Amino acid sequence: MRCSYSCRSIEHVLSRRSFLGGLAAGFGAAAGFAGRPMGALAADLQRGGYQILMIYLAGGSSQLETWDPKPGTATGGPFRAIETSVPGVRISELLPKTAQQMHHLSLFRGLNTSEDDHGKGHYLMHTGRRQAPGVEHPHLGSLAARFLAPERDPLPGYIHITPGGGGFSGKDAAFLGPKYGALTLGNGNPPVNADRPGSIGEAEDLARHQLRMRLDRRFDTRRRTAETEAYTATYDQALQLMERRDVFDVTKEPTRDQDRYGSHDLGRHCLLARRLLEAGATFVKVTHSNYDTHNENFDFHLEQVGEFDVSFSALIADLAERGMLDRTLVIVNSEFGRTPNINQYYGRDHWSKAWSVALAGAGIKRGSVVGATNENGTEVVDGEAHGEALFHTYLRAIGIDPVIDEFSVNGRAFQIADPAFYPIEDLLA
Amino acid sequence: MRPMVPGALAAPIVLMLLASGLRSAPAAEAELSLHERIDRLIEAKLDAPPAAPATDGEFLRRAYLDLAGTIPSPEEARAFLDDPSPYKRDRLVDRLLELPSYARRMQYVFDATLLERRGDQHVPRADWEAFLLRCFAENVPYDEFVRRILEADGSEPPEQRAPAKFILERGADPDLLTRDIGRLFLGRDLQCAQCHDHPLIEDYKQAHYYGLRAFLDRTSLFTDPKTSRAMLAEKAEGETTFQSVFRKSVTHTTAPRILDLEPIADPELPENEAERYEVAPAKDVRSIPKYSRFDQLAPSLASDDVDAFSRTIANRLWALMMKRGLVHPLDLDHADNPPSHPELLDLLANSIRAMDYDIKAFLRELARTRAYRRSSEPPPGASEDLVEPSRFAVAGLEPLSPEQLAWSLMQALGVVDAHRQQAEADLDALEADLCDLCREDRDRIANRPWRIEQMVHDRLAGNVRGFVQIFGASEGQPDSSVESSVHQALFLSNGPLVQSWLNPSGTNLTARLAAIEDPAAVAEPLYLAVLSRRPSEEERAEVVSYLESRGADQRAAAVRELAWALVTCSEFRFDH
Repeated sequence: MRCSYSCRSIEHVLSRRSFLGGLAAGFGAAAGFAGRPMGALAADLQRGGYQILMIYLAGGSSQLETWDPKPGTATGGPFRAIETSVPGVRISELLPKTAQQMHHLSLFRGLNTSEDDHGKGHYLMHTGRRQAPGVEHPHLGSLAARFLAPERDPLPGYIHITPGGGGFSGKDAAFLGPKYGALTLGNGNPPVNADRPGSIGEAEDLARHQLRMRLDRRFDTRRRTAETEAYTATYDQALQLMERRDVFDVTKEPTRDQDRYGSHDLGRHCLLARRLLEAGATFVKVTHSNYDTHNENFDFHLEQVGEFDVSFSALIADLAERGMLDRTLVIVNSEFGRTPNINQYYGRDHWSKAWSVALAGAGIKRGSVVGATNENGTEVVDGEAHGEALFHTYLRAIGIDPVIDEFSVNGRAFQIADPAFYPIEDLLA
Repeated sequence: MRPMVPGALAAPIVLMLLASGLRSAPAAEAELSLHERIDRLIEAKLDAPPAAPATDGEFLRRAYLDLAGTIPSPEEARAFLDDPSPYKRDRLVDRLLELPSYARRMQYVFDATLLERRGDQHVPRADWEAFLLRCFAENVPYDEFVRRILEADGSEPPEQRAPAKFILERGADPDLLTRDIGRLFLGRDLQCAQCHDHPLIEDYKQAHYYGLRAFLDRTSLFTDPKTSRAMLAEKAEGETTFQSVFRKSVTHTTAPRILDLEPIADPELPENEAERYEVAPAKDVRSIPKYSRFDQLAPSLASDDVDAFSRTIANRLWALMMKRGLVHPLDLDHADNPPSHPELLDLLANSIRAMDYDIKAFLRELARTRAYRRSSEPPPGASEDLVEPSRFAVAGLEPLSPEQLAWSLMQALGVVDAHRQQAEADLDALEADLCDLCREDRDRIANRPWRIEQMVHDRLAGNVRGFVQIFGASEGQPDSSVESSVHQALFLSNGPLVQSWLNPSGTNLTARLAAIEDPAAVAEPLYLAVLSRRPSEEERAEVVSYLESRGADQRAAAVRELAWALVTCSEFRFDH
């Protein structure tokens, strides 16, 4: 029987405590149940002003051709490892520019997610939970939109930039409600309906809004509720968003930066992400497709990681230079890694037993490596942790204690992260 | 349990109502009507006077939205407002309950409730909607309605398998079904009792979860290789067992069981395995056991023996009308979350059972209460306690559902009327060649409003689906999870669909208003069409001043802006 542990339960905490025994005494006992209730938590989080950038390498990127190279071994493949800006830390030679930004990054090489299915791996790496029947958990982007984003933020709280189609979908938000779903900017295009209809001038638009507000005031004076207020506020947001719709237009960025980020989709999308984060967007995810290299793993990674290296290194350098890294959590992840074993088509297959992610920014140690795999990369030999623990780590990095802080939606309490796990403390600053 | 033969369901509604009236004769002996008893229980808990009765306009709009799923036409609004009869509110409720729009409204309500915006992978949406519409048009008793849904396994002929959508669109997943059957029919979200007794809710036991799951554990989704249709296959054996994660050493076994009622023991099964099957399991074959645990589900759950069943539907229908459940949230019925009015919920649960689950008659009683007919404006100086929604001293306020919003917008802006006229003309043309006798056939005349409604619906339903995308919950979530969002505001402000309705064309609202020369004559038809009431003096003056500020040459544009402001203001967006 698989348990989804979807409820917030003191028994869960207690059973983990007794399981951890003496270990828990360190922080568990000290923390007690002094978690912040929702109101205090929301205020703290909004004051914190945290933002999140997720770069998602769709299809399963190879840890061996990125963060955890094993040159000169049977599994290592043709690429070398190179020195980085952190003495002693070596990564794949496919990442020469990123290597120069290593002092901003933390690598986690001890990830074991035991999930080799694309859909389930994707779910785990976005929600911090195993997929279980009868229950859907919100994605990190939706949690950010619900709990980090300022309440009346004109920018949608969860923005996803990806090749392909765009639109708005509430699916990722699960029980949080569709408002906290993803606004997808397909191919980096601006959201729909952000432009005034051609037949209506700016003055006329303003006039009709003023009339609407007078009507609202008359109705709301006697019947004001949180819901009517939230409804009328969405029009203020809409007007602000229309006013600022240039924020979705990456061509407004200097040509020099457009060149620096690369003249490919990922370059444009990463630059758009910078633009949005600078404008205050709470959560931006950029998807880079596709790393599912069952055939010709090395050619594909040469090309894909090459694009990634240019865009990502420029983005990290810019966030650091602009002082944004202190408040922005950066996550580079995927649904799983790829097999150390090289198959007959020079490909690598799905592999979740021992792989890596890169983190940077808010709450994350800089220039460090946590966890290690063995010589061939077939097993984690030090600091092994699961995807659920990684999710706890993201939350702690932005000031949420998923173990003790209290969360509720419509009067129902819930656990924001799987209560059977803890954060990876070594990654946290 | 009341015997129910399928043939009886097709009987005219009048007969059914009569029959249910006779059956509930003992209840009528209690000297007070149900709606009066409801009001006394609500008012007994108030220590200050409740809100004043709703105005005619408020009541008209509310009753239409709740029972017809849309706002009234301006002609209906004018007629109701001008009707001097003191009985007009009762008459309106009675009339609305007999219109095709009532069945359509219930179709939407129960679609959203039962499927929670799930997709249409296994059963065509049109079949499911037709099934729901027919059930509510015939006023099928609720327990029978639920049995039809829970006994369908998808193996029925195509024209009869629509009710299986509830199970099939959930992939026949036993955990998902256990959770949703508990939530929707028993008022209990047992999700947290899957791994152990609910840690926070003493009443929710792990045994309840697995008792329900035992009805489903032997089933699996089977796809017929010939027709590619999905259906349930079932095995003749397999026990449902569970352990608490806190005490893994003890394994419990349970037979199918509804909450704390007696488990339903399997009959003695033949020793020989093959003899336990009508159709034995094999590759590409749908196994059918001689004794089916799944078949026990519908009659055991939708039964007079299950208090939680009548309690849950009574609470859900109450919430539909009053915008809030007596037990709230609707799926957390337990001792530590008691109903706001325990005696009232008992009364409602007993009444709906005594009424043989006649939904229409039950809603009629709710619509007759003073509680339903109050204003949504709190009385002057009301205390915070009095305006608390669970007091029901002030009428509730709720955003329109996606379907209500779409139909109300199309009604307000004249889209529905244009299509209704077209549908009537089309039907007349279709029947032009009929003999006089055929044309005067009583069934044909009685059917006409239903056919017109269906034709208008078919033409405009595509627009409604667009609204469900933007204003509905995401797949597998209740609509109560929806909050107002900037995307919705952008859709209503700039989206091409709403713009096309606002542009003057044919006989739509803005075209009619733009043709009125006297600015002082615009406000009344505008307000009647959009807000189902007449404007105040202040509002009339506001409209005149808006039109005059834009000048006569900008009349069409100004009218469009006025209409937009009215359909986006909160008075329109909410059912109040």
